[in-house]
Amino acid sequence: MSQSEIRITAEPIDNGRCKFLVSEPLHAGGVRRFASREEAQGSPLAESIFSIPGADVAEVIVSGNLVTVVKQSATPWPVVGKAVGQAIRGALAGDRPAVAAKPAPAAGGGGTADDVLYERVADLFDQQVNPMVARHGGRVELIDVQDAVVMVRMAGGCQGCGMADVTLRQGIEAMLQQHVPEVRGVVDITDHTAGSNPYFAAAKK
Amino acid sequence: MPRLLLLLPTATYRTAAFVDAARRLDVELTVASERPSTFQAANPTGLITLDLAHPERAAEQAREFARVHPIAGVVGVDDDTAVVAATIAQAIGLRGNPVAAAEAARDKYEQRTRLARAQVPVPRFALHRVEEDPSTLAGRVPYPCVVKPLRLSASRGVIRADAPAQFVAAFERVRRILGAPDVLACGEPARLILVEAFVPGSEHALEGLLVDGELRVLALFDKPDPLDGPYFEETIYVTPSRLRSDAQHALASCAQRAARALGLTNGPVHVELRHNDRGPWLIELAARPIGGRCSAALRFGSRDSGLEAGGSLEEIILRHALAMPMAALEREACASGVMMIPVPRAGVLREVAGIEAARAMPLIDAVEITAHPGEALVPWPEGSRYPGFIFARGDRPAEVEAALREAHRKLEFVFE
Repeated sequence: MSQSEIRITAEPIDNGRCKFLVSEPLHAGGVRRFASREEAQGSPLAESIFSIPGADVAEVIVSGNLVTVVKQSATPWPVVGKAVGQAIRGALAGDRPAVAAKPAPAAGGGGTADDVLYERVADLFDQQVNPMVARHGGRVELIDVQDAVVMVRMAGGCQGCGMADVTLRQGIEAMLQQHVPEVRGVVDITDHTAGSNPYFAAAKK
Repeated sequence: MPRLLLLLPTATYRTAAFVDAARRLDVELTVASERPSTFQAANPTGLITLDLAHPERAAEQAREFARVHPIAGVVGVDDDTAVVAATIAQAIGLRGNPVAAAEAARDKYEQRTRLARAQVPVPRFALHRVEEDPSTLAGRVPYPCVVKPLRLSASRGVIRADAPAQFVAAFERVRRILGAPDVLACGEPARLILVEAFVPGSEHALEGLLVDGELRVLALFDKPDPLDGPYFEETIYVTPSRLRSDAQHALASCAQRAARALGLTNGPVHVELRHNDRGPWLIELAARPIGGRCSAALRFGSRDSGLEAGGSLEEIILRHALAMPMAALEREACASGVMMIPVPRAGVLREVAGIEAARAMPLIDAVEITAHPGEALVPWPEGSRYPGFIFARGDRPAEVEAALREAHRKLEFVFE
């Protein structure tokens, strides 16, 4: 596939975070999070994004065909996004995998606070959250936990649902406050415009 | 921390804006919908189900809930929940509109009747039943006229007719629209058709907040695309208005008189007006905020307002409902606008191309596509759902309008 055939859709979450949905998969080995230029070494996509001049990239998260970029600069996303698009196309055209496999944890080493939280949140999602949203044909995927902030992606009936924010804030976030109170917040990185079967579709003016 | 009861029908576009506003105000939020959330059992104080189709029943349910979890304010987000909110407010003793006023605002015929009686300028109007013979009516109606369902929103089923043959065709088409299953569920109002004189002139939308009966104008939008029919799908809203200031004052004064004539006292109003050489005309007043995602075009706040800069319309509405402090209601200084993206044609949507290019255009704040792949897009007058919204900000209204049009040209709707 030529670079021009790769389609990338940018969905800014806020001034600091933007998700990029790519028509081609970038990483099939689960979620990889890069919190520094050093961690990005060996993964051409993350290396390129951290090298974008003036963006002051703080984190890159890659999962499947989704790239989430966290920046600290005030440069607007329409400017940074073009450079991220070039980085994605360049990484897909390269000889090496765009994202290297996650290194195995050091023997005997303990997990970070976020790793511990990740496990507890994942359990909550498996045991309670997903059985609940499944009643409306939905699914909530735990993408990552960063600095005690949980990143989720909604799918099925939740993706594009008119009540997704209620589910997120009054449902998922409330359960996290009750069961994993160390969690500081929840960020939805779902591309809701791509939802093809939302349980509740907004219809009224 | 005060508790807000937010009435969110499951088919509303308004969820994110109101939920975000409640979070920013740090209030205890209870969301009420007509269908249960799957999380209701897990969060019984944050999620409840009310019979939104029956306001009295909903008020009983809300009163039961409030006995255990006191409610400080109630807010509806659309025409129907505005009536439910008024009923709950009256039952619990909260700030809100009189129930009769909210009901009159929702009923286009009752509204026009009250406004005409109070000498607020409204088009000549008459109410007919769907069973009536349009060929008989065609000789009695004024031309040009507008045929519209009594209870539908977003200009669904609104058709202009300039001559008897057009009137008969329009009446029969509206009758078919009223026969749709989702409309029939409205009950008796689905059997009624309003026919009114077409009022030429520029069209405007006033966004306001009633505080103890006094209208505070939050924004006056121009609608630069002529809305002359035959259908009335809206496109661009731009504020501030480019009308002369005396004309703007006349529109605001007309809206104030209309609110007073209906008996509305508290909460948001969205007022559709026209202006021509005879002055302002009240087309419709709704006791709710602007619909769709359009409120994102409005930002408020200054240092002494109690609102952070960038405060939203929803934040203002919630603060007012909860009687929280709110000194100034000044909109940001720049020009701002929104385009409700027109439905290009009927068909099943495969994708929308060019979104990134549209976002990259100068002055464009956001492009939000709300239609989903596989969705059947239905043009007006049968349809009522915009496939998305484009937002722009700039120094002058003309620049904003041009930016919206330019960004829209970048979008390509691909159908299956």
